[in-house]
This record gives sequence, C-alpha cells and structure tokens, in this order.
Amino acid sequence: MERLRALVRKEWEELFKIKMVIYGSVFLPLLMGGFAGFMVWTARDVPPEAQATLLNTALMYFLILPVMIPSTLAVYSIVGEKEQGTLEPLLATPLSDWELFLGKAVVAVVPALALTWALFGVFLAAVQVMLGQIPSTVLTLPWLLSMFLLAPLLSLFAVLVSMLVSSRTSDPRAAYQFSGLAVVPTLIPLIVYSARFTAVNLFFVVGEGGGLILLNAVLLYIAVRVFQREQVLTRWK
Amino acid sequence: MIRTEKLTRTFGSRIAVEGLTLEAQEGEILGLLGPNGAGKTTTVRMLACLLAPSSGEAWVGGHSVLREPQRVRRLVGILTESPGFYKRLTVERNLRFFAELYGVKEPGPAVQRTLERLGLWDRRKEPVATLSKGLRQRLAIARALVHDPKILFLDEPTAGLDPESARSVRDFIGELASDRRTILLCTHNLAEAEELCKRIAVLRTRLVALDTPAALKSRLFGTRVAVDLAQPRPDLLASLHLPFVGEVSLDGHTLTVAVDDPERDNPKLVRRLVELGAEIRYVQRLERTLEEVYLELMGGSDGAP
Repeated sequence: MERLRALVRKEWEELFKIKMVIYGSVFLPLLMGGFAGFMVWTARDVPPEAQATLLNTALMYFLILPVMIPSTLAVYSIVGEKEQGTLEPLLATPLSDWELFLGKAVVAVVPALALTWALFGVFLAAVQVMLGQIPSTVLTLPWLLSMFLLAPLLSLFAVLVSMLVSSRTSDPRAAYQFSGLAVVPTLIPLIVYSARFTAVNLFFVVGEGGGLILLNAVLLYIAVRVFQREQVLTRWK
Repeated sequence: MIRTEKLTRTFGSRIAVEGLTLEAQEGEILGLLGPNGAGKTTTVRMLACLLAPSSGEAWVGGHSVLREPQRVRRLVGILTESPGFYKRLTVERNLRFFAELYGVKEPGPAVQRTLERLGLWDRRKEPVATLSKGLRQRLAIARALVHDPKILFLDEPTAGLDPESARSVRDFIGELASDRRTILLCTHNLAEAEELCKRIAVLRTRLVALDTPAALKSRLFGTRVAVDLAQPRPDLLASLHLPFVGEVSLDGHTLTVAVDDPERDNPKLVRRLVELGAEIRYVQRLERTLEEVYLELMGGSDGAP
C-alpha cells in the first residue's frame, strides 16, 4: 500500500509539472461545461419536455469527460516512463505488477472523476441560477446513477483500454493513436442514447452500467495478464 | 551471493545467453566483459528479475530469481544501461520516490546520506533536467544505493562520461567493494575491468573464460621477460637451454624469453646468460594487456555473434 501511495504521489507531482497535460485536462472540462451551460441557457424559455431533452444532452457531456481525460493521462503514464528511460529502474523495484497497474490507473481515474463531479456541481448551480430551480427531471435516480456509477465505469474502461494498448504497442506514438481510437466504442452508446431524444431512464443506465461492469472485468483480467514487466520492457523500443 | 546454473535466455530463435554458470562471492567485484550482444545486459536483467530465464536457474543473496523475485528485487540495487530520471522532478524527489518503492523505513535520512556520499546534496533542489551527464550517472548510482543493498548490478557505469567523471565513478565503485558489497560490473572498458574486478567473466553468449585478470593473461600468453643486452647476441637463441624457458626471440639488443614464473626463474636466467658471456643492461617483465587477452579470447571463441 505504501508503494502504491508513493507511485500515485509521484505521478501527480510529475503530471502537475507538465503544462500540456494540465491545459489538456482543463480545456476539455471547460469546453464541455460551456456546452452544458449553453444547453441550460437555451432551456430557459421552452416547454418542460423540450427542457428535459436539452438537459439530457447536457448530461451526455458529463459522461464524455470521464472517458476523454483519463485516457490521455493513462497513456502518458506509461509512455512517459519509457521516454524518460525510467521504466527499467521502476520495474527493477519491488513494486508488483498489480501495484504498478493499479497506481497508474488511479492516477488517471481520480482527477477525471474529480473534474467531472466538480463540473457537475457547477452545472447544478448554473441550472438553479438560470432556471430558478433544478427541474425534477435532473436529480432523478437515472441521472445520479449516470454520474456516480456510469462515470466511474466509463473512466475505468478508458483507462483499461489505454493501459492495454500501452503495454502491447511497440511505439509511443502508436500508443497515443490507438488509445484515442480505443475509446470510440465507449462513445457509441452515449451517442445512441442521446440521439433517442428521450429522458434519461433507468433501463438504459442500468443496462449500460451492467455491460460496462462485465466489459471492465474482462478488460481488467486481460490487461493485468498482458501488463507484464518483461513484455513492457522488451517490447517498448 | 550470486550464483547461476546453466542460465539461458532466448528471444524467439535468438539465443541471448546460453548455459551460463558462474558464482560471485560476498565483497567481490565480478566483471562481465563481452562485445555488444554478448548477453551481459540480459544476464543482469535476469539476475535483477526483470527478465525470466528461458531455462536454468540463478540465486541472488540465496534467493531464487524464479521463485522469489520480490525478495531478490528488495536485495539488489541496479544501475541500468541507460539510467533515466523524472527530469521535471528534483534530485531529492527522484531519490525519495525510489527509496519509498524499496520500502526504506526513513526515506528522508537515507536520501540525505546517499546524496551526501555521492556529492549531490547541494544540488538536491535542482530538477534532474539541469544536471550534466556525469552528475546524472552519479545520481543513478545513488538510486542503486539508496536502500543500502548488499548486491549491486552496474551496467556500463562509466559509459559516455568524460575522463574525470569516469575516474570519480570508478573510485566510488572501489569504495563500495570495500563495504563488503558484491558487485556485478558490466563494462566494455577493459582497463576499468582490470582495475576494479577481482575476477572477470568473458561472455559471448556463452561463458568464454572466468578468472582473475592476471590468471587470464598468464593462461593465454604465459609470462615473458625482456633482457636488454649491451651487444646483439644471436647465438644465445640456440644456446639458452633451461627447463623453465619457453620461446626465445631476439629483436636488436632485446632478448625476449618466455618463462614459467619470473620471480622464481629470473635469477637463474640472468646467471645462465652471464655464464654465456652476455652483458645485461636490464631485465624487464613484459605484461600483456587485458585488451590483448580479450581480443585473443574473442578471436578464439566460436559463440555468436
């Protein structure tokens, strides 16, 4: 546990010193927050049904964030080690594969969720200010499940895919490229979901959540199996 | 402290290390010499549990690299071939991170002690990116030492350093051995190997030779003495019949004689030459360099590549 903590602390310290990572991580939430704010602004003087549709679209933005932010961080966390030549000394320490994998995943997932939830709080405050109240269609069980169940699951999915790609590709540029493509399947259900123009409903949330739990379990199993120090060390050139 | 038994590693159809059997005792610096691709780094990686052997077995500090890799990792310090650092983090932060990973109980004092020993304490607040190559190499050695391991693997510790930095690194390695640490030193620098290593293992995928530098020289070339004469005496080539004398040659005033043991045989040799009427100006023992030994071994071995 101490080693895991040490790894996470070091990773965050390092990431905070990379301006591009900071800008990249802040830009997306600002963009999505701006879109969501625009949806709320548009929803001021429309009938309740149209208002619900606009706010559902805003929710989609909050589900994109936990996918996009961690994938960049997760890929960098491995690529960065290789680029700086620190991977071999790191793998020579008593850090286990599980600790290394989990540490790298935590480093990517936690800031993504923190940013997503913070932005969601700002969104709710904006809704309260602009609409005078939070509509009953927003703080429902499907909405809350989306934010607090789907968002972490999507985030974990993105990280798992990125780590899997990182540990199997032989070139850092290819890792960036592939990990970007790998999160596309995550967005498909969200696009389909929003395109239906129905209110967020429990059936979809639970269905997608269940699917993601299953998918994440399979991915975690595969990722830890292929995330072996020997493979990572000898394949990355 | 380190023992390998028929250690073998293949990458697909390519054999990197084949049937390596050797042993290093406590406090010994064992040199690994060999050309690029000879299997030196692969051997170190197997011993540091970074790569699993394809077959054979190795024990480090009494622990099997196959069955107890975590224990082995705690015991050893490693200086990798290309030592990298988190360049944006400071010298102190880098070292503290590795101290924590190695489970050092009080990382702060351990980091301070190690940085002071390597002369880096004054630079502790600087990002690693600002350090010269020589200082980074010293920091890499500090990283290998921060958890006070009894066994060290040093892969090309002076590669790419200027002569002054290389000298300071070599001096430091010498000090480490006097702390009773066991060191496996991979190097291309033959003078360095000769200066630091008690024994040298010459690798070319397989073990070509393993002995002390002096024994390797003697075994391959024998021992020779040069006798400088006042006058050239070609007749001595035919008349110098002594049981301990091997090949004899004359080049101008210098008579070169192969003998078994110069300390024992030189007085008898000088006496015989004087008896034969030779006027001797001086006698000098001829040393073969380790480079000559190495080239002879490499030329004679049939390993690939």
